[in-house]
Amino acid sequence: MKVFVVDVAKCNGCYNCQVSCKDEHCGVDWMPYAKAEPMTGQFWCGVEERVRGTVPLTRISYIPHLDAQTDAIGDYAPEAVMEREDGIVVLDPAKCQDRKDIADKFPGVFWNEELGICQGCTGCAHLLDDGWTVPRCVDSCPTGALRFGEAEDFAGELEDAVRLDEKSHVYYLNYPKRFVGGCLVDLDEREVVIGADVALVGPDGAVVAAQKTDEFGDFMFDQVEAAAYKVTFADKSLDADATDADVNLGDLSIK
Amino acid sequence: MSKKTSDKSVIKCLGFCGFGMGANATEVDVKDGRVARIRPLHYDQLYEPEDLNYWKIKARGKEFEPLMKSFPPPLAVGYKPRAFSPNRIPYPLKRVDWDPNGERNTHNRGKSKYVRISWDEAAGTIAAEIKRIQEDFGPFAIYAQSDGHGETKSIHASHGCQTNLLQLTGGFLKQARQPDSWEGWYWGAKHAWGMNPVGMQTTTTNVVKDVAENSDAILFWGADPETTPWGWGGQMASRLSYWFTELGIKSVYICPDLNYAAAIHADKWFPVLPNTDVALQLAIAYVWITEGLYDKAYIETHSVGFDKFEEYVLGAEDGVLKTPEWAAEKCGIPDYKIKALARYWAARKVSIAHCNGGGYIRAAFSHEPARMEVYLLGMRGVGQPGVNMFQMIEWQLMGIESWNPLPSCTVLPSVEGCYRGATMDLSEPFIPKTRIHDAILDGSIDWHGHVIAGIAALDQLFDFHWDKDRDGGIKMIWSDAPCWSTCWNGGNRFHEAMRDPSLEFVLVQHPWMENDTKFADIILPVTTTFETQDFNVDTRNGQWNLIAFEDQAIEAYCEAKSDYECVGEVAKALERLGGAYENLYERYTQGRDVMEWVEKGFRECGKPDGETADFEKFKQDRFEAFPTKENWEEARAGLIDFYEDPEGHPLETPSGKIEYYSETLATAFPDDHIRGPVAHWIDKGDGHDDRLSSERAQKYPFLMITNHPRWRVHANHDDIPWFREIATGKVTGPDGYGYEPVYINPADAAELGIADGDVVGLFNERGTVLGGAVLSERVPRQTVSQDHGAREDCVVIGMGGLDRGGANNLICPSATTSKNCAGEATNSFLVGVKKVDPFELAKQYPEAFSRTCDPDWGQVVADYIIEE
Repeated sequence: MKVFVVDVAKCNGCYNCQVSCKDEHCGVDWMPYAKAEPMTGQFWCGVEERVRGTVPLTRISYIPHLDAQTDAIGDYAPEAVMEREDGIVVLDPAKCQDRKDIADKFPGVFWNEELGICQGCTGCAHLLDDGWTVPRCVDSCPTGALRFGEAEDFAGELEDAVRLDEKSHVYYLNYPKRFVGGCLVDLDEREVVIGADVALVGPDGAVVAAQKTDEFGDFMFDQVEAAAYKVTFADKSLDADATDADVNLGDLSIK
Repeated sequence: MSKKTSDKSVIKCLGFCGFGMGANATEVDVKDGRVARIRPLHYDQLYEPEDLNYWKIKARGKEFEPLMKSFPPPLAVGYKPRAFSPNRIPYPLKRVDWDPNGERNTHNRGKSKYVRISWDEAAGTIAAEIKRIQEDFGPFAIYAQSDGHGETKSIHASHGCQTNLLQLTGGFLKQARQPDSWEGWYWGAKHAWGMNPVGMQTTTTNVVKDVAENSDAILFWGADPETTPWGWGGQMASRLSYWFTELGIKSVYICPDLNYAAAIHADKWFPVLPNTDVALQLAIAYVWITEGLYDKAYIETHSVGFDKFEEYVLGAEDGVLKTPEWAAEKCGIPDYKIKALARYWAARKVSIAHCNGGGYIRAAFSHEPARMEVYLLGMRGVGQPGVNMFQMIEWQLMGIESWNPLPSCTVLPSVEGCYRGATMDLSEPFIPKTRIHDAILDGSIDWHGHVIAGIAALDQLFDFHWDKDRDGGIKMIWSDAPCWSTCWNGGNRFHEAMRDPSLEFVLVQHPWMENDTKFADIILPVTTTFETQDFNVDTRNGQWNLIAFEDQAIEAYCEAKSDYECVGEVAKALERLGGAYENLYERYTQGRDVMEWVEKGFRECGKPDGETADFEKFKQDRFEAFPTKENWEEARAGLIDFYEDPEGHPLETPSGKIEYYSETLATAFPDDHIRGPVAHWIDKGDGHDDRLSSERAQKYPFLMITNHPRWRVHANHDDIPWFREIATGKVTGPDGYGYEPVYINPADAAELGIADGDVVGLFNERGTVLGGAVLSERVPRQTVSQDHGAREDCVVIGMGGLDRGGANNLICPSATTSKNCAGEATNSFLVGVKKVDPFELAKQYPEAFSRTCDPDWGQVVADYIIEE
């Protein structure tokens, strides 16, 4: 079975995957696999962009989506999906007439008002069946963030991978969680505090992680679960609620 | 490739540098007469890795490899729509109220529409005008705007074909393009450490290997390896950035906004306020000097004039200690963080990476931060292992083989043999590109130096003068680079110059109806690279240099012709006028057809067997890549020779050493206190007053960041729907118009009553440009960021004007870098920000606001053509 493996930590946000997908499909029929995609508005491969944190601890995570690559669609509407041995999910344009329900139900499937069909990622099946080894999005990815192949080829890597639904063929490595960071400062001395102990304490009072501030006085607890934490240092304890968003505590006086 | 999904594939080098400097080799599949797809070029279709002497850089137990395919940017992968954009110019056009035999209505340029004319009429009218102007005013009354970025073609060069023709008819007035990508290095750093002709460290052989082995950190100072390299060479810079992190090298970004590379690679971001880097640099020097943290022995043997710099830092000159506290107030970085940075840097091996662009190097007084960086590198013993400056872009630019930090290639090919664009000709007369509006409106200008990238430092000492009465004035502009006003210094003033009655004829040739094209009297429609057959190179990929036969992919659009052919049509029309123009077409083409030019380019590209190589095989193979040099890893890295033996390997300064005090500048410009002999913090002067502490900041309280665009190469690509619909592409206003994003810190936006998605005006004395608000933690308070280069959509033309498109160069300063430096200062200027109601504006300016804004493409050519 073919799978997509997306390493979010390697995605540089160039959008080559999204753009090459459009280059392949917008305004062009690849029947029987796909009818033309409208010039804009559909994202068979779509990059989600999350701006995280606050100045000067701001970051961006880019998450490419190929949400139509899920067997959940076949479970829901087996008649609309082509039968393929490689497991790639292809919505059959000839059988997707008037199936707005599929577009409404599944992210990554889009309703084409003009043609009256639902559409989405075909895994570039027309190219794979024509001798290509990978779809357009993977071929154009410069960093190796996006890979494609037989599931067993990635076996060791997929164990901790995240899937957006349990029937998805898209596996995410380093899927973004939360960060909690800040900078310790001695405001009397006008110096950052280097090598100070800082702990991230979970809602249950247990220390989740501990580290020493670096040469810039910074601490950074990265890839922690979303939760309402406390950050402790010296004799202080500060709220760091990372339930809904990443937390930059800013410059913190140790006194 | 199978027949089912592609009929044929051609190679196109989709770099956008221009100047015959190709890059971004891609494979373009064609099906049913249309471009089907643009994709990476796979080298392994012709080569095994060993054929190319495949390189690997090994360090700290890890390896970095070039891999066997190209890494084109989205700007190349998504380029196809430009070929069928509804903004393509379909046929020759004439401005409806321009009559060469009657009223020329120059004041209506930019405003009145166009009518279709035939190629015969267009070429005939142009020829008659050229003849008239040459006879009445002399050849130098024709100003050629013939440089610029854009499609990088060779025979059909996007820029400068007209100069070949004009040269055959007595010459022309040149537009001297200053080093706009490295102003500060050019005007400043060269006086501190030579490095001609650029001013950045140009000896960077094997510096990536050196950094990988020896550096603890890299300062990305004003650099965005995830944006600026895209149009110039693809995404190797991105791959390198990841590898440096993998090696445990700390990536420190010093830049006012969280640029696209900082957003994913930064271990540490210092959001320095725009164009205040000098304060930060001085404070770092202060810490090093007062704490004894610099390499005194190196300064002793490798530099001159350090005492003068030290005196300035310690306040002996002006009574001001350049302490971190002093700097913090100016640059926005807290004093304690400046100290931490200074000490961290002093304790480790640190290199500095650059990518052109940004306020660091193209704001007012940019010579100062550039020199200051050299001073700091000197204090760190630059040239020792792990301590160098290197570029993440434009590798091997201008044929400088050592200006490439990656493994050297056996051949550095060029398109010289078939290049039909403009060459960097130094002969007079010329006018600096930054002063053209002054020349037209004031009639007389003075400046220093030839102002062209690629000349040594001492050229800056020569005086030049142009006077309309002495030199015949400027009666005609022939432009194939109609994006001056959205890329250069002071666009609204330029628009006034374009409407000046003294300018009798403006001719533009271009594929798209955009920017200065709308100020033309006659417009010739130009083909895109897909529509031509050409020879090209890719020398910027960081892997292997290659040459390419670029076959024609699709038929020409409507009546478009290539730039080379457009000029050829004018040559034929001139020839019909006889006399001096006799046999002009033959002279222009040198009697060669396109394929003969391709063969000439191939034979003269610089490959050792060029004279005898099999041209037919090359055409069949479509490209040829050249292997890495044998024993490339043995070449000494960066400035190690200077480090080890400064007497034996001197720099190109008069002393051969790093000059903290420039005797050259002191002698040549004794009264210049803005670019004095020692780099200083300059508050204001020479036409610039753009500090948050300035009185002007009362009215215009934000520092404007105008980065090189994420989804364009300057003015190129702005119509591509697949970029416009990306969140960072355009902001769709409540009126459905695609506004250029303006990034505003949420705290500032709250005070201004601006919500995400609102239409905002950015304004100062020079005018207003609109944009779509993006509330973002990517910019610190007191700054706003809007990429430059958006297509103009002028509502009110001229000084104090209003532009809907967000072409912020319209409101940037006209004044140059400083009075003796004719560079541009187009970043880090003061603006006010206000929410505007586009529906109110539409009532006020119904005509401009009734122009089409296609939801996918934006502006369209049909709005400018009067149908018969």
